[in-house]
Amino acid sequence: MEDRNAAAPETAAPDMTGLSRAQLRRMKRFENPWLNPKLLWGLGLLLGIVALGILGRIFWDTEMVFTGSGLPRQAPVGIENLRGQVGSWAHPLGTDVTGKDILALLIVGAPNSLYVGVLASLIGMSIGIFLGFSAGFIGGRTDDVIRVGSDVMITIPPLLILVVFQAAYGDISLTIMAILIACFVWQSPTRLIRAQVLSMRESGYVQMARLSGASTWHIMFREMLPNLVPYLFGSFIANVTTSIVTAVGLEVLGLGPQRIPTLGRVIYDAINSGALIQNLWWWWGIPTLLLAVMFIGLLLVNLGLDEVSNPRLRRL
Amino acid sequence: MGRIPAGYLANRITTLVLTVVIAATLIWIIPRLSGLDPASAALGRMASGGGSVENADQILAQLRESFGLDQPLSMQYLLYVWNTLTFDFGLSTASFPTPVAAMIGNALPWTIGLMLISLVITFLIGNLLGALMVWEHTPRIWKVAIPAAMVFTSVPPILSGLLLMYIFSTQLRWFPLSGPYGLNVEPSWTFDFAASVLYHGFLPALSIVVVTFGFWALGMRGLMIGVQGEDYTTLAKAKGLRPRYILYRYMIRNAILPQITAFALKIGMLVAGQVLVERIFAYPGMGKLLYDAILTQDYPVIQGVSFVIILMTAVSVFLVDLVYPLVDPRIRHGA
Amino acid sequence: MTILDFKNVSIDFPTSTGIVHAVTDVSLSIGEGRRIGFIGESGSGKTTTALSAMRMLASPGFVSGGEIHLHSLPESNLLKLSDEDMRNVRLSRISYIPQGAMNSLNPVMRIENQIWDGIVAHEGAMAEEELRQRSNRALESVGLDPDIVGQLYPHELSGGMKQRVCIAIGVCLDPDLIIADEPTSALDVITQRHVMQTLRDVQGKIGAGLILIGHDMGLMAQSVDEIGVLKKGELVEFGPVRQIIEDPQHPYTRELISSVPLVGGESFLDPKPATPAKGYATEDGTPLLELRSVSKTYGAVTALHPMSFSLDGEEPKIISIVGQSGSGKSTMGSLMLGFNEPSTGAVLFKGHDINRQSAPEALAFRKDVQAVFQDPYACFNPFYRVNHALKFPFERFGLSEGPAHVQQAMEDACRAVGLAPETVLGRYPHQLSGGQRQRLIVARALMLSPKLLIADEPVSMVDASLRATILKNIHDLKDQHGISIVYITHDLATAYHVSDYVMVLYKGHVVEAGPPKDVIGDPQHAYTKLLISSIPWPDLDRDWGSSEDAEAGLAELARIDGRHEMILRSTIPGFSLGVD
Repeated sequence: MEDRNAAAPETAAPDMTGLSRAQLRRMKRFENPWLNPKLLWGLGLLLGIVALGILGRIFWDTEMVFTGSGLPRQAPVGIENLRGQVGSWAHPLGTDVTGKDILALLIVGAPNSLYVGVLASLIGMSIGIFLGFSAGFIGGRTDDVIRVGSDVMITIPPLLILVVFQAAYGDISLTIMAILIACFVWQSPTRLIRAQVLSMRESGYVQMARLSGASTWHIMFREMLPNLVPYLFGSFIANVTTSIVTAVGLEVLGLGPQRIPTLGRVIYDAINSGALIQNLWWWWGIPTLLLAVMFIGLLLVNLGLDEVSNPRLRRL
Repeated sequence: MGRIPAGYLANRITTLVLTVVIAATLIWIIPRLSGLDPASAALGRMASGGGSVENADQILAQLRESFGLDQPLSMQYLLYVWNTLTFDFGLSTASFPTPVAAMIGNALPWTIGLMLISLVITFLIGNLLGALMVWEHTPRIWKVAIPAAMVFTSVPPILSGLLLMYIFSTQLRWFPLSGPYGLNVEPSWTFDFAASVLYHGFLPALSIVVVTFGFWALGMRGLMIGVQGEDYTTLAKAKGLRPRYILYRYMIRNAILPQITAFALKIGMLVAGQVLVERIFAYPGMGKLLYDAILTQDYPVIQGVSFVIILMTAVSVFLVDLVYPLVDPRIRHGA
Repeated sequence: MTILDFKNVSIDFPTSTGIVHAVTDVSLSIGEGRRIGFIGESGSGKTTTALSAMRMLASPGFVSGGEIHLHSLPESNLLKLSDEDMRNVRLSRISYIPQGAMNSLNPVMRIENQIWDGIVAHEGAMAEEELRQRSNRALESVGLDPDIVGQLYPHELSGGMKQRVCIAIGVCLDPDLIIADEPTSALDVITQRHVMQTLRDVQGKIGAGLILIGHDMGLMAQSVDEIGVLKKGELVEFGPVRQIIEDPQHPYTRELISSVPLVGGESFLDPKPATPAKGYATEDGTPLLELRSVSKTYGAVTALHPMSFSLDGEEPKIISIVGQSGSGKSTMGSLMLGFNEPSTGAVLFKGHDINRQSAPEALAFRKDVQAVFQDPYACFNPFYRVNHALKFPFERFGLSEGPAHVQQAMEDACRAVGLAPETVLGRYPHQLSGGQRQRLIVARALMLSPKLLIADEPVSMVDASLRATILKNIHDLKDQHGISIVYITHDLATAYHVSDYVMVLYKGHVVEAGPPKDVIGDPQHAYTKLLISSIPWPDLDRDWGSSEDAEAGLAELARIDGRHEMILRSTIPGFSLGVD
């Protein structure tokens, strides 16, 4: 076959002379696609949040998440609050209106938000892989039911059903919340995997595997699944983002776990106590910033994964 | 204009009906699964909510009746479905005895207005920027600036709302903190009132636009890269067409098609985001209503609002699906 | 008079591993109204060279040296034009007819609008009436009915019609030069002849020059006046078509020409060995493969009408199934492999219905029936090294006696198909060429020593120079390893050489069957005749005929379309064909 775009034909040996060192370095990067700067930066940011959770528990007193751990309305270290009190190292990121230590809240709350996102996404992905393979492989009625089911469920905004749920049940644990969110994040991986399975089923190597007497199990998990990994990763990360957005959305409405600190809960308390008007910016601003870091990390990982799995994107 | 193929239409209507029925059923079934008597549970929450419950007996009786608790379960369900389909959600327990439907009726126009404006703006801007990220004739400065702006994508709407409010309302005082219109105007068809509504609606709309345009831009970027490699784009260039013409009529025109389908699917997500934004800006739409209902444990309102928003989403999805064959001749001819 | 000059043109592609010199120092001139062919294999730089005249090289390629002059311009050096001036040159002076006509038209625009926008971009806005006159004239010139086709969307046209629309676009502004990039590579031979003749006719009418890019020496011989042979970015030979074909100077040109198998020409196969290997035999004479009234329908479409045949494997044979796309030949392949169940009838292997087998029987069937598919690029799982494809079935079928034995078997099989084991084993699929991969698939089949091999278009995606070698490998499976082969192809010339028996399939019916010397050498059925006459011969004295001939052939085909007759020629022992 003639290659259509006449891109980089394999002719004589490439000529490496006349290239600057920067160009050569950029080329190195192409050789191992996983050494993608976006991917590495994104993972770095996410690991930073995990590290905050782990190191914080070792080096900081997480008991200070409770009311009255310090003076109320303390500003971060070195900054004056409206009463003219200067923040101290006792509460480097300040305290809220009831004297909870913001740093301790972040140390406990940030990993919690990440936990909900990752757990919900893991469960959603598992459902998605199961349903996607079922729909793509079994076909017929099963496929119809799964397809219509995911079409329907993708339309219903998860936040609203969760609001109804929580209003009926009251307090719930982080894990239950993750499971509930998972009920709404299986649709897109299901569609993605179904589409991929349908196209892979006709691909040459799957036909070769069938010729080789491979079992359905072997075809699904040894031949197809490895090639789905980049898509699954991307879908997983996108789902973590969706799950965290949903979880934070619930928490900001005052729903979700009532007794466990989460970033959304801190923001809910701040807004409800008039932190905006009282200019207690650290109370809502710092958790917001941390959430933003988390989302930027996830976005970068996702962009990086896109580039790994689709070389056409890399040049841009 | 061609006709919409019957099979396609039937498919879309089935999905619409199923969505509405499943959503309504979920809303009905969840409180019953909790194993509590929904009426007394609701009343108990009202009492524990701190408010003194006047005419408790009356409310309890009204709740029992509205839940139809004296009937068998299947009848309760049918009664509920009938009531829901006729937009009869019972009476609010927090502001007893206002009908929930009336409260929703007041809030709905605000939400629809805000939603339409922000959706349309975000869709247009997002897709245009996404297309410009790929187009070979985009000025260099845009190619740097657009990806940088993508950082906002990563922020959920509630946070963008907070930040915008902090910067423009609390600090700079350019925009009002809350409310749908100023205290100095009366709702009427006057220029002053309209200006005030726009002025008050600007920040809430902006907080949705700022964080959702990136979603469209990123999706468009991927699609444009695909279209850029298509043979028809190559032939368009070989035909000596002007670059801008190729961009609009060949590249965007084709790349946007999957985005229109995605538009339908993402409406639900955007509406949910808007609920939170309304809540921060105390904008008197469905989001604010929902939030107040959660605070006062007003279960009939929560049910009603959730159902109406889901219905709105499902209907918008349906409408977008109906429009789609008009822009894609391949669907129109059942290919 | 010369219209276009390439002067010492070189083109470079900077890539991740260094600069690739795609084209080096190419010089040639194109005379007014002359037809020039650029021939070469993939990666030879033929498309790149032609596209440089339109300044449409795929990024990041660029012209690193030389000049390209279009003499009808006041400032003739194309490489010095501004982007806007270059835009004006495209279509109005140099037009382009793309390879992938299937996807070259904007799917959401009506055909006439896609002609109009080209006119408007060069001549400014004009009244719709005038535009419609222009587009109608262009569509008529390529034999399409403008009143119908103009209003349609691309997905409503067949492949051949789309390609003719692309030609209409290319000629609507009377350019000086038309560049046609493998305009018929996606079409079957009958449509190919029609489209190429249309192109030749309109090009002659407007008196434009033509660059035809291709890899098929036969098509070149029937279409152009002069040929440029490119290899690895260099123009190795350039001259009048007769001289190139009858007296090629460069060894590469000679190789290109000799690699084209001809019907009735010299065989490229090894002579039959004195003691050919024996195949599968049973005492009671049960055939190896039997189809009993097998048919296949997909919804309302009948892909294959009921047919029966039986093949005994005692003396291995190659049975060819020849047809164009949509003839049902690939459906037959997948039915014989048990990938599809027949709608009626049964497929029997060694007397057992292959769709009613127990698990151990199914495994034994898989071991005995193997396949080589069309696309060597898709047949390897990109996740694994190529060994996986060879090792997995070998172990799965219980042939392995330990890792050392597997390794030995893989190396032996590679050598048997002419591959050096150390250059292919342990590599990832993307590190190998298409030809290497296809030969590995043949090696894989060899390792499993099946009784029957289904070869579904095994060489259609491989470069011409390798086709003969791979077919030779497959042919050896029969002679030296006693494997019976079903060869499914659209290519009559190769079927002529390798097969013992040929069936021609048309719209799910067998229209003609018999030994290749009869069916292909002396066709009787109208469809077979049309197929043979549509093959472009690399022989200047054997003319392709005019477009009127092609039209007449198509009309004849339309006439017989309703009734299905089968012409059975002589039979061969061990194979019998029956139709219900």
